[in-house]
Amino acid sequence: MIKKTDINTLKVTGDFSNDRINEFKKNYNDLKRTSAKPVIDLSEVQHAGTLALAFLEYISRNKKVEIRAAESLRSEIEEFAKASGYENAETKLSFTDRTVATVSDFFNELGDFVILSADIFYYSIRSIFNSSGRRKGSVFEQMFLMGNNAVPIVFLLSFLIGLVLSLQSAAQLKQFGANIYLVDLIVIGMILEMGPILTSVIVAGRTGSAIAAEISTMKITEELDALRVMALNPLKYVVAPKMLSLTVCLPILTILANFVGIFGGFIVGVLYLDLSLDIFVNRTFDVMTLYYWWQSMLKSVLFSWLIVLIGAHFGFKVKGGSEAVGKAATSSVVASIFAIIMTDAVLSLIFYFEW
Amino acid sequence: MEKENVIEIKNLTAGFDGRTVLENISLEIKRNEIFVILGSSGGGKTTLLKHIIGLLKPEKGSISVFGKEILNMEIDEFEGILKRIGMLFQGGALLNSMAVWENIAIPLEQHTQLENEVISNIVKQKLSLVNLEDAYYMLPSELSGGMKKRVSLARAIAMDPEILFFDEPSAGLDPITSSDLDELILDLKKKLGITLVIVTHELESIKRIADRIIYLQKGKNIFCGTIEEAKISHIEEIDRFFGWDKD
Ligand SMILES: Nc1ncnc2c1ncn2[C@@H]1O[C@H](COP(=O)(O)OP(=O)(O)OP(=O)(O)O)[C@@H](O)[C@H]1O
Ligand SMILES: [Mg+2]
Repeated sequence: MIKKTDINTLKVTGDFSNDRINEFKKNYNDLKRTSAKPVIDLSEVQHAGTLALAFLEYISRNKKVEIRAAESLRSEIEEFAKASGYENAETKLSFTDRTVATVSDFFNELGDFVILSADIFYYSIRSIFNSSGRRKGSVFEQMFLMGNNAVPIVFLLSFLIGLVLSLQSAAQLKQFGANIYLVDLIVIGMILEMGPILTSVIVAGRTGSAIAAEISTMKITEELDALRVMALNPLKYVVAPKMLSLTVCLPILTILANFVGIFGGFIVGVLYLDLSLDIFVNRTFDVMTLYYWWQSMLKSVLFSWLIVLIGAHFGFKVKGGSEAVGKAATSSVVASIFAIIMTDAVLSLIFYFEW
Repeated sequence: MEKENVIEIKNLTAGFDGRTVLENISLEIKRNEIFVILGSSGGGKTTLLKHIIGLLKPEKGSISVFGKEILNMEIDEFEGILKRIGMLFQGGALLNSMAVWENIAIPLEQHTQLENEVISNIVKQKLSLVNLEDAYYMLPSELSGGMKKRVSLARAIAMDPEILFFDEPSAGLDPITSSDLDELILDLKKKLGITLVIVTHELESIKRIADRIIYLQKGKNIFCGTIEEAKISHIEEIDRFFGWDKD
């Protein structure tokens, strides 16, 4: 039992087992608030659990508190203090040191990324011509996973984006009677920006995270080491097939997204702006130049490389356990989307001003 | 006749992030012997194996395999050496996305031009060596810990390696499977002339199979030699390990 026997004293009787620690702590806090000279009376306690010992040891450091305990319990507390009283060798860095470390970590990581990327390009290009060291059938399997399985979601989202974008602009265009320019707007908007970006953001979320998760799991479970010992290069065996197949799949998905998005615009044009079918189609083919397609494809190829390289980077650098796998996947998606939009902005500026 | 050394390590010092894990280790492993690495947990046994197979790079020292220095070796040449060795990892390290037969077939598919049917037969034969005929189509996640180890062993011996590294092959196995495994190891040595480098804690199996042992204590080599030599050396750690201090 835990009981206050007078205004300054808290008395514990019976076994001080672990399940009584919370009750004790509450009573102790109350006592500390009301009393200037708290006394803990443990003279009738025979045995205390680890939690009680740890807490008693903690409060015994407060010189104001008096602990009355039998010799055996006192020595148990002292023993606990001895067994837990060592310093852990965690080095504490000062603020400047930490800043320097963070900055240099970032540049080290960037350096690692560049080296890894170069290696991945080297092995991917080599494995186009020489399939040895690459898992059999893996490129087609990957194409199926990355490309085919992404078709429904790319289809749906780009259709909706095309539809909504057109609808929002249609209201403005109508005011000036510039209905026909909806076609220019949606064709250029989809092919140059929305198509490549939307598709690669979806693929970064699906495939980029999967790449990071797969590689980091393989690293943690020593599967990568096992491959190396079998004289197989993980970059060639695991990464190159993904690189090759995404380089093909992402542009194809982008073409699909472009057309579906334009189709969304077509629906708005015909139903809402009363454009006739052949006017819309003719205008579409007038606006759609090869130059735009070329930009669109260039972007999507670059984005596909970013997705694979960043996913692989976060996969290979993983350390720790299963929680690190989740982190690697998340970080890879965030980093890929960031890199995709940055690259897109730079390319768009270059092409727009024809630098 | 004195057999040649297949592995020679001189003054190997290694660690992680500045923390030394192996200190000045030198050893030789002869062809066709069973060399057992002993030591306390965290003593550096796995780390030593990973250095010999080139997964980790040491700070100092030299390692040669089949008489050739492997540090700073060209990758293609080193892969040639890797094709002649096999390794069984402490956790099995099977590729989780592939069925058992595919795992065992990896080295055969990648390093030979054999027909699928021939490869499949080799896989079956290796599986029956480890008593796992029924596991052919199973996924690693469907196997028990001991089964994973045995599949991993089948994969390690798929290419008939000249040196086989085992990281705790019998940890987690029941005594019967474990003694079958010892028989298999002795067979591999006798019939195929394989050199075996084994990390294990199982006293029975050490006494049964070991030709020579090395004992690593906190990264230092405190004994290297035969078990008989260990017995008369009266090193406290080793006496305690084998229970000789009680005799
Ligand atoms: N990847 C790593 N990063 C940092 N330190 C490591 C790493 N791997 C091992 N170590 C450290 O190296 C030391 C030796 O580890 P190692 O795995 O070689 O021990 P071991 O002798 O195989 O032990 P066990 O019998 O428990 O398997 C340990 O102190 C461990 O903390
Ligand atoms: Mg180990």
